[in-house]
Amino acid sequence: MSQEEDSLTKNVRLRLGFADQLREVTVTTPKDEPRPWDADSALTVVGQPTPRVEGSLKASGAAVYTHDVRLPGMLYAAILRSPHACATLEHLDVAAALAQPGVVAAVPLAKVGDRLRFAGHDVAALAARSRDEARAALSAIAVRYRPEPFVVDTLEAMQPGAPQVHAAAVSERRTEGDEPGEASGGAARGNVRLGPSQSKGDHKKGLRQAKVTHSATYTTQVHTHSALETHSLVVRWEDPRRMTVWCSTQGIFSVRDEMAEIFGLKPADVRVITEHLGGGFGAKFGASAPGSRLGYAAGELARRAGAPVSLCLDRREEQLCTGNRPDSIQQVTLGAGADGALTAIHVVAHGSGGIATGAGVGRSAFGVYSRCPNIKVESHDVFTNAGPSTAFRAPGHPQGAFAIELAIDELAQKMGRDPLALRLAHVEHAVRRYQLELGRERFQWAARRAEAEARRARGARIRHGVGVACSIWGDYGRAKAAVVTVSVGRDGAIFVRNGAQDLGTGIRTVLGQVVAEVLGRPLAEVTVLIGDSELGPSVGSGGSQTTSSVAPAARNAAEMVRAQLAELAARLLDRPISELSWGTDGSARAGRRSLPFRELCQKIEGEAVVASATRPKTYGAHPMRYPGGDNYQIAGVQFAAVELDTWTGELRAAEILAIHECGRTHNPLTARSQVQGGVLLGVSYALMEARVIDRRFGQVLNPNLESYKIAGARDLPAIDVVFCEVHTGANSTGAVGIGEPATIPTAASIACAALHAIGRPVRSLPITPDRVLAALAGQDGA
Amino acid sequence: MRPFSLIRPTTLAAARARALAEPQARPFRAGGIDLLGLMKEGLRAPAELIELHALSATEGAEMRALAATEGGLRVGALVSLAALARAKGLPPSFEALREAASSAATPAIREAATVGGNLLQRPRCWYLRHPDLECLKSGGASCLAEGGENRLHAILGGGPCYIVHPSTLAAPLVALAATVTILGGGGRRTLPLEELFAPPRERIDAEHRLAAGELLLALELPAPAPGLRSVYEVAKEKLSHDWPLAEVALSVVVEGQTIRGARVVLGHVAPIPWRALAVEQALVGQVASAELFARVAPLASVGARPLAQNGYKVALTQGLVRAALHRACDVPIPE
Ligand SMILES: Cc1cc2nc3c(=O)[nH]c(=O)nc-3n(C[C@H](O)[C@H](O)[C@H](O)COP(=O)(O)OP(=O)(O)OC[C@H]3O[C@@H](n4cnc5c(N)ncnc54)[C@H](O)[C@@H]3O)c2cc1C
Repeated sequence: MSQEEDSLTKNVRLRLGFADQLREVTVTTPKDEPRPWDADSALTVVGQPTPRVEGSLKASGAAVYTHDVRLPGMLYAAILRSPHACATLEHLDVAAALAQPGVVAAVPLAKVGDRLRFAGHDVAALAARSRDEARAALSAIAVRYRPEPFVVDTLEAMQPGAPQVHAAAVSERRTEGDEPGEASGGAARGNVRLGPSQSKGDHKKGLRQAKVTHSATYTTQVHTHSALETHSLVVRWEDPRRMTVWCSTQGIFSVRDEMAEIFGLKPADVRVITEHLGGGFGAKFGASAPGSRLGYAAGELARRAGAPVSLCLDRREEQLCTGNRPDSIQQVTLGAGADGALTAIHVVAHGSGGIATGAGVGRSAFGVYSRCPNIKVESHDVFTNAGPSTAFRAPGHPQGAFAIELAIDELAQKMGRDPLALRLAHVEHAVRRYQLELGRERFQWAARRAEAEARRARGARIRHGVGVACSIWGDYGRAKAAVVTVSVGRDGAIFVRNGAQDLGTGIRTVLGQVVAEVLGRPLAEVTVLIGDSELGPSVGSGGSQTTSSVAPAARNAAEMVRAQLAELAARLLDRPISELSWGTDGSARAGRRSLPFRELCQKIEGEAVVASATRPKTYGAHPMRYPGGDNYQIAGVQFAAVELDTWTGELRAAEILAIHECGRTHNPLTARSQVQGGVLLGVSYALMEARVIDRRFGQVLNPNLESYKIAGARDLPAIDVVFCEVHTGANSTGAVGIGEPATIPTAASIACAALHAIGRPVRSLPITPDRVLAALAGQDGA
Repeated sequence: MRPFSLIRPTTLAAARARALAEPQARPFRAGGIDLLGLMKEGLRAPAELIELHALSATEGAEMRALAATEGGLRVGALVSLAALARAKGLPPSFEALREAASSAATPAIREAATVGGNLLQRPRCWYLRHPDLECLKSGGASCLAEGGENRLHAILGGGPCYIVHPSTLAAPLVALAATVTILGGGGRRTLPLEELFAPPRERIDAEHRLAAGELLLALELPAPAPGLRSVYEVAKEKLSHDWPLAEVALSVVVEGQTIRGARVVLGHVAPIPWRALAVEQALVGQVASAELFARVAPLASVGARPLAQNGYKVALTQGLVRAALHRACDVPIPE
């Protein structure tokens, strides 16, 4: 370490680790960083199950979402969309629409000569006095298309001579939803764009050494985000150089930058507000997804009309144009020695994000079974004339986990080994090993496996199956990105301000808890203001980084406020600051004298004590790093039990045991909801959700929530959530992410349990009765 | 959705006259679940809806009735699925009907949806309901499901169109030998419910045999034979808010251990509620047993001609029939 760096940093000894595996570790932090919370920190607010502070607003309907924003004189927008899977725009004239009842403004969104690359592509937009008038007027827009050849099927698109989706190389804005470090932009061959690969050792050699091999192809479906609140924004121009945007977004600042760029404004002159968000799941980092121009449409209509414009997509548009999880076709080859040790893992994956990129398969195959010496994972994007993919809760990972985990189980079956034992033999991460062992006991793995096998052996009608799968994710908590401001007023009022949006994870509540903890005040006395770009820089809610980026910044700001208050108290008590301590009730103490919080506040000179702070880059990754990074590797495992009716092929997830960690669990209640939500999403992905597209017409057949099936209340398994707290030494509060890790292994664990129940694999998601019946009838892979 | 007028006639004659003047543009509205869905999706744009709930108490009495008749049951066309599901005192023999009524759609939909509307709703085929595609039923030249995405389509009785009949109530009502009373130009007529449904070979623009402006008034379930039991079984991909992949309603008359009569009706596998006659014949005169059911269940799909993606419905339907027989005849189902 250079001297200069040395003078800016300090070493602290922390007690880090988990369960009974705690030890003293030295971490280096900036000099002015508070001592990070570790295993010895006794906290009273952080770590307590705390109901989300906006819960009653949401439950009562009082919470204002973007769809609810009503401004004086506000107009409603509607968008004309191409009905063709691929077409060249030959003629477009929006003028006639202006004569329709209620219509105030209309703008083209495509130019004559443009190729419109999927059914649902933007063509033009208009704004009218009511939503009905806007929709009705769309048919008055004069438009002519010249249909072009198209391809919507991923395998067909990979064939030589398939219609070319993009004539030129594609470059896309990265969003905070993309997994950091995932490179994009390889060479293209036809519709296939070669992606990055992850590699170690020599997989070919490993396969030559193998005594047992398993090789099969696994496929997954296109999965749509289906947020209940569709993409929406309301734009109001304050003057020709300034606008306010209400947007249903998980990235307030990326929307701000996008709108500033579109309209040539300074970012500071665009204010973005997201008070509450009705679901994002990765599709809502910008105002729109690739291939669609919602931000421009709303902003330009508002400019031309001289009135605020609300653009709220309908369900059909939401399902077609705003994002999805790409499908995948993964060839997995595994090799193992006579002793059962894995010698090689090789995955070649292709997937289509429609007209967009992003079809990688994550890090499960590369990072989880890292005792295997030879691993290669190659993944390629295939372009098709279909709606764009966007980041979707743990991009790539659920599909990657499904393929590798089911392949591992098939290999174990071939070798006559217990799949859990095989996993334990190859997992290096101590936390993940601990979780697997914990789950083995808690789920009664051995007894349930035996019971299920006995049922299968005696040909029972109702079968059971038990499976397990792992999750891998990184701590992407960002340095210097979020600036949190904490203030304590003379009246004792405590405010926390930051421009983060609440994706639904409960960040409002967590920020309140952290500040309440530091200042020793009840949570009810802390008001948290978020969801507005005016409240200070923050991160997008992607990469499971919100809590880990914002909560430490909140702590650091609160510590600065407390230090100022302590200084004031020392003066008032006439003691040296070194003698001063801070009571858990927020009172300042020195010797036998103490000063209650409110009294102290009354002595504040001026209005308030205010401090703003951010957090530095991660300073620790104990006990295990993420492959290729300096950041901590988040571990999780899920056990699934399924029940199968062999007469009908109906397979239900009966029970999921989800063992996860998010570093220090700041709020067990909201963290639990994150895990439950992740499991629910995973169950739905495993068993029912699938976008259906007709390859002859290039049309999505189920752009709705009726035949695009999402798990409902009665489809939910019993979910047992267990947190195994890990002190990673990553940042001042010890937060790491949970949102994404929680959904990664669900479908994989269900697929493994399905293999156990049926005796044969279903290698395609979703695992619907048609596939189950085929597998029961003896078709391998179905 | 195109704006429309809601007409509220109080007499049957007025309702019919209004509809007859322009039948395509003036449908009756019962629960409105199917109708409004079609209108919102832009698949129908009627100028007027004729509100059946506006009928006066006397004029609408028959359509609103839910009452026991000598041993049987009368169900008015305007009775909601929810009312049927929770009706007290339904003869236990009619269990299949109660089960079906409480399984269809969602609790909220069942409160609004009516028996008549349920039987007369349009198919859910995703080609028929696609705004940018034309299939046989929506004026195009061919069935798009036949060579397309057809995992939800018909395996029995299909062609030239392969829809499945959407009504969940149809199967139990046919299994219980219901008759239907219709008010038309020539006055009232009553026919076996089975005869209400028209396969695509006979009629492509609708799935029933009602003439324009005809009103479905009520259904009548005859008094059950002693020993009659009925059950409904369904398979779905999800349990909340989903359509059946296949369903079966059956009634059996069991005397001692011997099956004296059977009506086995399959749903969501054919363009009309499908009588599995081969199963019925194979059951009659036999002693109920697990072995018998295993032997006759495969007859459920006699004549099936699956399309590329719906072959699974063969095994699925057989499984449902087998499970239903166990329950109906009280023969313990294997573990
Ligand atoms: C998510 C979802 C899931 C569903 N699942 C199921 C399911 O599992 N099983 C199932 O059966 N259904 C299901 N449905 C459909 C629903 O049950 C039907 O749409 C409903 O029963 C129709 O009844 P209604 O009274 O609302 O009919 P309406 O929409 O009012 O009418 C339907 C048609 O019948 C005509 N009509 C109505 N009454 C009469 C009458 N007395 N005389 C002459 N013509 C008449 C109308 O003019 C119209 O053409 C589902 C619907 C949804 C949205």
